Amino acid sequence: MRYAEFTPFDLVLLAQGLGVTVGLFLATTLIGLFLGALWGVIRFYRTPVLTQFITFVAEILKNSPVLVQLFLVFFGFPAFFKLNMTPVNAAVITLSLNTAAFVYVIAVSSIESIGRDQVEAARVFGLTRWQVLRHVIAPQALAFSIGPLTALLVNQLQVTSLISVIGVMDLAKIGANLNLRTLQPFIVWTVVGVLYYLAAKLVATLGARLEKRLRAHSAFRGL
Amino acid sequence: MIKVENVKKAFGPVTVLDGVNLVVNPGEVVSILGSSGSGKSTLIRCINGLEKLNAGRITVDDFDVSKPKDLAEARKRSGTVFQLFNLYPHMTALQNITLAPVEVLKRPRAEAEAEGRALLASVGLGDRADAYSSQLSGGQRQRVGICRALAMKPRYLLLDEVTSALDPEMTAEVLDILAKLAAGGTTMVFVTHEIEFARQISSRIVFLEKGKLLVDLPTAEFFAETGGLAQPRVAQFLSKMRKD
Repeated sequence: MRYAEFTPFDLVLLAQGLGVTVGLFLATTLIGLFLGALWGVIRFYRTPVLTQFITFVAEILKNSPVLVQLFLVFFGFPAFFKLNMTPVNAAVITLSLNTAAFVYVIAVSSIESIGRDQVEAARVFGLTRWQVLRHVIAPQALAFSIGPLTALLVNQLQVTSLISVIGVMDLAKIGANLNLRTLQPFIVWTVVGVLYYLAAKLVATLGARLEKRLRAHSAFRGL
Repeated sequence: MIKVENVKKAFGPVTVLDGVNLVVNPGEVVSILGSSGSGKSTLIRCINGLEKLNAGRITVDDFDVSKPKDLAEARKRSGTVFQLFNLYPHMTALQNITLAPVEVLKRPRAEAEAEGRALLASVGLGDRADAYSSQLSGGQRQRVGICRALAMKPRYLLLDEVTSALDPEMTAEVLDILAKLAAGGTTMVFVTHEIEFARQISSRIVFLEKGKLLVDLPTAEFFAETGGLAQPRVAQFLSKMRKD
């Protein structure tokens, strides 16, 4: 195929790619946050067997490359279990679980960062485990975890670009296509890079704003 | 009535309570004295169910704290004030006080808040209802801690070295309130190093030594030469504490 100049329609393609990237990011973030938090709560209740199982799964997800996980979900499992797997499904499953594993780690450490003394005070006044979690631990743990969560999500946003290799038409894949068509790698990847940057910056800014609000009670007021 | 029967508690190889018997009747103020590590705080933590007993039995109004079903009832009857306040830092003073009444006793929020404000006013903190614990002094924090316990309308108030973390001025703030409560007939189990204060407000004084209850006497007798002071260990303890 011969190369061709940029056209105004390329902007639409880029917007679509960005839309796919942001959409996948939001979907996998929501699922990941929910699953990771749920796993954290299961651990908080010291549910036997299930807790060990979750810790084991999270270990595997944290310590292997996302690309390998993606290939396993897209190529490996479907071949072994004779399943149908679309690229988008594979992307959603892989990224959600990967996000969940890291959310789990953050959830556990922020739950454990809440002083035992507060939990004891609440228990002594007759609050149930759930009430302690909801009213005493969760609001503070959430405030603690916003920082690491924001860092995680900014990273996960970049990681979504991996899904382009299994054919999802995300921003990176659109960039690759435009590059092949125009043979203008500098312009294409600069524009794509800036778009990723802006999206990540938005996530970071929202995270910082939320953190400030949630930590109002312990705001640093100078020495 | 709080009834402690032959309670034993060990942390690993360390025996902290070694067969303690104690009865606290409604209306009494029982002070527990003893050196650090004698098991005073552990005894309080056993009464409110924060520690599991190795042996023996504790009942609060006949509710056995070792039975999960009874523990909730037992806890409703006793309020604890902690040495290090243990306030919830993300909540205001008022929210600290209303959390348990609203969640556990299912009181309407407006009612609980009105009562909480009244309690704060009664300890001189009427204007600090919306302050976070980081904005309060130690003495103020402990006064909030007392209000938090009182908001549950407990029959028994368990006080675990509530002034140990405070300077003399702040200690006085807190002791004033406890003296008022004692005069008002609140039943208290008072773990303390404030011997003179204990002498003023207590109906009985108990002396713990190495996990054993050495002396359990009415206050006047405890300080009498023929009573508590006849015990060499008590005499030694009191003379040391008074020199400081």
